[in-house]
Amino acid sequence: MSKLQLITKGILKENPTFVLILGMCPTLGVTSSAINGMGMGVATMAVLIMSNMVIAMIKNLIPDKVRIPAFIVVIASFVTIIEMLMKAYVPALYASLGVFIPLIVVNCIILGRAEAFASKNGVIDSALDGIGIGLGFTLSLTIIGMVREALGAGSIFGYNFAGDVMPLLFILAPGGFIVLGYLMVLFNKIAKR
Amino acid sequence: MKSSLKNMVLVLFTITAVSALLVALVNTLTKETIANTEQKNKDLAKLEVLPTFEGEAELEEQTKQIGDFTVGVTKVSANGEVVGYAVEAPSITKSGYADRIYLMVGFVESDGQTTINGIKVLSQKETPGLGANMTKKGNKLELSAVGKNPAEMTFKVKKDDASGSFDSLTGSTISSRAYANALETAYAGYLWAKGELDTSEEAIADAPTGASTTSEAADTPTGATVAEGDYANETEPEAQKGEVTNE
Repeated sequence: MSKLQLITKGILKENPTFVLILGMCPTLGVTSSAINGMGMGVATMAVLIMSNMVIAMIKNLIPDKVRIPAFIVVIASFVTIIEMLMKAYVPALYASLGVFIPLIVVNCIILGRAEAFASKNGVIDSALDGIGIGLGFTLSLTIIGMVREALGAGSIFGYNFAGDVMPLLFILAPGGFIVLGYLMVLFNKIAKR
Repeated sequence: MKSSLKNMVLVLFTITAVSALLVALVNTLTKETIANTEQKNKDLAKLEVLPTFEGEAELEEQTKQIGDFTVGVTKVSANGEVVGYAVEAPSITKSGYADRIYLMVGFVESDGQTTINGIKVLSQKETPGLGANMTKKGNKLELSAVGKNPAEMTFKVKKDDASGSFDSLTGSTISSRAYANALETAYAGYLWAKGELDTSEEAIADAPTGASTTSEAADTPTGATVAEGDYANETEPEAQKGEVTNE
């Protein structure tokens, strides 16, 4: 697989949200607005790239049978360290992305990619895989967020176009499931062609 | 690597030990900076909720313990004149949808009239897109309170009580109730700081308990009046009794 393919496959063929159906909890939880979806996507991408690289580096040192607990410990401490550093040195960024950081620990995309890709590939390929999957995740979350925000609040990226008349349902959890389902159908129809 | 018992135990132990060590190290390194940033943000919030003024700000801080909660009142003065009071207060009797809500509220006094000058949400964990909208500028809750005289307000949402002063956020009545409650606490803190927390006045006897009758609420007037001395302690049960019969 070429280096470019490693990135593009995450956006289409192995899109984490619409094709691999990974990371559904944060997907449904934070996509009530476009900007939240994007924030979660970007924060996840940053963690994913770095955790993929770390796992690829230490994969040969870990016995097969204990690899999953080992990966989880590595990822969780990694995220915690990032959270503390962000809080201390880039408080402005933390103010906008901070709420998502603890959610990333339990995001199965991170563990899924560590297990499925980084534990079998080199450091650079793993970083590229992290970029690809991260981009795919960011894109999907932004799209879901845009649709939900547009239908539920009548605005896109906080820019209101419809006033206060839209059905609130789409901001709430049931609307999240409905939008996600229809987007999944649409995406797979387009991607299969 | 081969999975023998020895190397499994060894590797897992090493990884957890190294991780714990790194996390502890980073925590020690960043703790102070984080605390400083938070304090700075709080100080900034204090000035943000008050009108702008010329010259150096003098902050005079005092805190009040109400049950398990702390209400911080900062008197801000510049050039020897009082600009206003910035009060940091939690929602005591009503939690939000996920957690308590902490507000910084600016009170300004002119011609004997108190006005809420500005409100800033310090911390909240409400649903993004719904209750979390309380952090946005110009939201319904903020508009319901800013520029008004708190003495003339009823700290309830209109949905619960037609006389309430608060329009609730769309789909977030619980968050809105907590917001109103935090504001009520802030007002009580402001009155306390000015020495005007008079238990005989019905509005204030009402204030810390809100609409709730839980034991949590019953603690509140006690905490709020203890510092007032013996006199307050004497009158406090009476105020409480009045409260209960009202309901």
